[in-house]
Amino acid sequence: MRNHLAGNRRSVIAFLALLCLVGVVGAEGFRVPVEYHKLDNGLKVILSPDHTSPTVVVAVYYNIGFRIEPKDRTGFAHLFEHMMFQGSKNLGKMEFIKLVQRNGGVLNGSTRFDFTNYFEVVPAHKLETALWAEADRMSGLSITQENLTNQQGVVINEVRGSVLNQPYGGFPWLDMPQYANTNWYNAHNFYGDLADIEAATLEDVTQFFKTYYAPNNAALAIVGDFDPKEAMAMVKKYFAAIPAAPQPSKPDLSEPRQEKQKRVIKEDTLANRPALAIAYHVPERKTPEFYAMGLLDQILLQGDDSKLREHLVQKKGYTAGVSGGINLLGNMHNYNGPMLWMASLLHDKSVSADDIVQAWDEVIDDVIAKPVDRATLDRALVKLRSSFYDEVSGFFGFGRADLLASFALFDDDPARINTLEDEFRKVTPELLQKTAAEFLRAENRTILIIEPKQGS
Amino acid sequence: MKSILVKTIVITAFLSSFGWAQKELPPEGGKPRDFSLPQKQQFTLENGVAVTLVPFGTIPKVTVSVVVRTGNVNEEAHQVWLADVVGDMMKEGTTSRSATQVAQEAAQMGGDVSINVTPDQSTISGDVLSEFGPKFIALIGDVVRNPLFPESELERIKVGRVRDLNVNLAQPGSLAQEAFMRALYPDHPYGRVFPKQADLERFTIDDVKGFYVKNFGAQRTAVFVAGVFDAKVIEKAIRRAFEGWEKGPAVLVNVPKARTGQSFHLVERPGAPQSTIYFGLPVIDKSDNDYVKLVVTNSLLGGSFASRITSNIREKKGYTYSPYSMVSNRYRSAFWAEVADVGTEVTGPALKEIIAEINQLQSEPPSADELKGIQNYLAGTFVLQNSTRQGIIGQLNDLRLHGLPDVYLSNYVKNVHAVTPEDVQKTTQKYIRDEDMALVIVGDKAKVEEQIKDFVKVNPEGK
Repeated sequence: MRNHLAGNRRSVIAFLALLCLVGVVGAEGFRVPVEYHKLDNGLKVILSPDHTSPTVVVAVYYNIGFRIEPKDRTGFAHLFEHMMFQGSKNLGKMEFIKLVQRNGGVLNGSTRFDFTNYFEVVPAHKLETALWAEADRMSGLSITQENLTNQQGVVINEVRGSVLNQPYGGFPWLDMPQYANTNWYNAHNFYGDLADIEAATLEDVTQFFKTYYAPNNAALAIVGDFDPKEAMAMVKKYFAAIPAAPQPSKPDLSEPRQEKQKRVIKEDTLANRPALAIAYHVPERKTPEFYAMGLLDQILLQGDDSKLREHLVQKKGYTAGVSGGINLLGNMHNYNGPMLWMASLLHDKSVSADDIVQAWDEVIDDVIAKPVDRATLDRALVKLRSSFYDEVSGFFGFGRADLLASFALFDDDPARINTLEDEFRKVTPELLQKTAAEFLRAENRTILIIEPKQGS
Repeated sequence: MKSILVKTIVITAFLSSFGWAQKELPPEGGKPRDFSLPQKQQFTLENGVAVTLVPFGTIPKVTVSVVVRTGNVNEEAHQVWLADVVGDMMKEGTTSRSATQVAQEAAQMGGDVSINVTPDQSTISGDVLSEFGPKFIALIGDVVRNPLFPESELERIKVGRVRDLNVNLAQPGSLAQEAFMRALYPDHPYGRVFPKQADLERFTIDDVKGFYVKNFGAQRTAVFVAGVFDAKVIEKAIRRAFEGWEKGPAVLVNVPKARTGQSFHLVERPGAPQSTIYFGLPVIDKSDNDYVKLVVTNSLLGGSFASRITSNIREKKGYTYSPYSMVSNRYRSAFWAEVADVGTEVTGPALKEIIAEINQLQSEPPSADELKGIQNYLAGTFVLQNSTRQGIIGQLNDLRLHGLPDVYLSNYVKNVHAVTPEDVQKTTQKYIRDEDMALVIVGDKAKVEEQIKDFVKVNPEGK
């Protein structure tokens, strides 16, 4: 679900933090170079040179996330991600990983709502090596029952370590979609029931690969120190011969308008302090209200100057921090379907959930009741611009590859990366208020309360 | 019959030498490109503030990091986390700016003032748009030099820290780390990871102010700036922000005497589906000549994804998800440890494999090819470590903390490549001695105890 190959948890956390940044293109003329190609087999290729350091990012995104995995195989999209490291035509088990490492690179993969990605950061002169390796596993897998069984064990230990053996395990990122959504595709356990993970067969692996891991269901982004012409020649050499495959039609992912507030209590036998999360369905991507929601997120929740922090932390002293955003497993741009804006906090038993919701509403009611002042809106725009700069250079260019691949996959338009700022700038205080009135309605939200039951 | 058999053999040989059974080899790639460490400009203010400016990249942002040589190492036994509370309280406003003003001013520049306290250092830093670099330095200078320490906010900060403490005590990873550090540093601040709640609740505003006065000042401070900026303007801003600051206390050196020798610590976590393991011992620190050899050895043994322990207990056995070994990085003190969350039912087998991998590397040098792979990996990640603003500052701050010369970085890749297979074997024998390790397990005692009795020969210290 999160990142699977990192040897060090701290680096995973740092990486996720980077992905949580959301941004706007700078007014001061910084533009992301974007070259967009499509191979005859349908593979989308995005090139974005950046010569800051002699490294290059190769990122392959497949248009299959955990949302649409098979209904009797919850957690399968994620388990499958592990299988992509278990052997392909020319690379046996561990050989992909060793190839990248011994060429001085780092690699990872992750499974998200609407894509599964695989990427390497390698020294610039190893671009061809990385492209060859990604093409090799796009061409076909070579998985044994032994390797499948091994990774079922690894994934089960991943779920134990991240969820089952942790206080607040899965809170709120894994829990909340299951309560807030009504459509199975958005509301099932994305990590998977352990029984489903154990039930997976080699036949499932073969079928899933055949269906979804075709070039016409993928995007390849290259960011870093390379020559676009040379890179394109290499891409054609290694990827052009991989055949396309017919794609199944996408299921209906839509969520109905929520008309009634939900309130859910979950007991946690490992926790000793209560926690609370609140989530609202957000406007559809690329609508004016969507950009307004991105700014509301900045105003309400992001940074030390945010209104919720100011009120809940500084003024009320209910918690030491409140955090969240749009799409906790990424950012407000890298998904393609219904999504939640979510915030969560830890508190003491001396403060009730009702106290917190009341204080929360004092902030939310205010942005519904009157338009935010221009200074607050301007500050939100600066924060977005600043974090966008980090996003497009973050993790050695991977942050940029992530946006480019997402925009290619979901919108067939990676150059969108350079239009975001204009869209955010169009948002007026009136639109912010209107968006808040519709989407921050109490009826549009789910409140999730963690009741600590440590030792019981 | 006979002839058919011969034919079959010939055909098989033919096919395997010409094709379908033969795998394609990966392309080598092009010629390596030059990498040199970014140029830096350094100077020291009269009061002792050490300044390093590193122009880097093209993204119009700048990172400012003020590093003060104080942290948990300066706490008394009853003051654990006082350094953290001081850090929290520094965000509660200055003599001329409220907390809200600090937050809003920083946000207007595209950033936050963040404060991070570690055992050896307290860092006050932020990333802002380049155009605001000088203004941000002024803001951060005010936060560092003129904290208001309003008593009205202390209770709230302490309540937050008490909550934080209790949440930590519910996490297996935190519990394991605490027990491990206590085992290695029984009489030193490094061994005191968590405070007693009652001690924490007793902190007064005078404790906070006292710690600050005793530990903050110019000669303990370094300022790092990296990114896109005008060096002249930034230098002026730094002088204006820091030149008037008192010299303050000298750096207090407090190097622990770490405990070596086998010990065993089982922290009970009833019903836990996994055992959280820390297994390690004190080793040489970064200032030692053998240190790079230890780094290479660690990467090969357990410190990278393709390493031996990870290949074994994750990719071969499926016992665990994210195991790793590490060499810690504190002033004149380091430890090596293997850290892993393994299935409760395979705690014993996992330990057996970890020890077998250590013993294997003690008894036989790795192949030149395996070592080469690790050396290339370290050389590649070194470039990555020096390819972000925060990474560059991290590397230079590290040099400063350990008192190492610039050649440590400029010769690092060369020194990595100079390590031989025999060096790796000897380094393992000399420093990664399983018979001298502390073993911590946080897990279900009833299910674990029987599995590990073979590994625990002395001093079982149940808890």
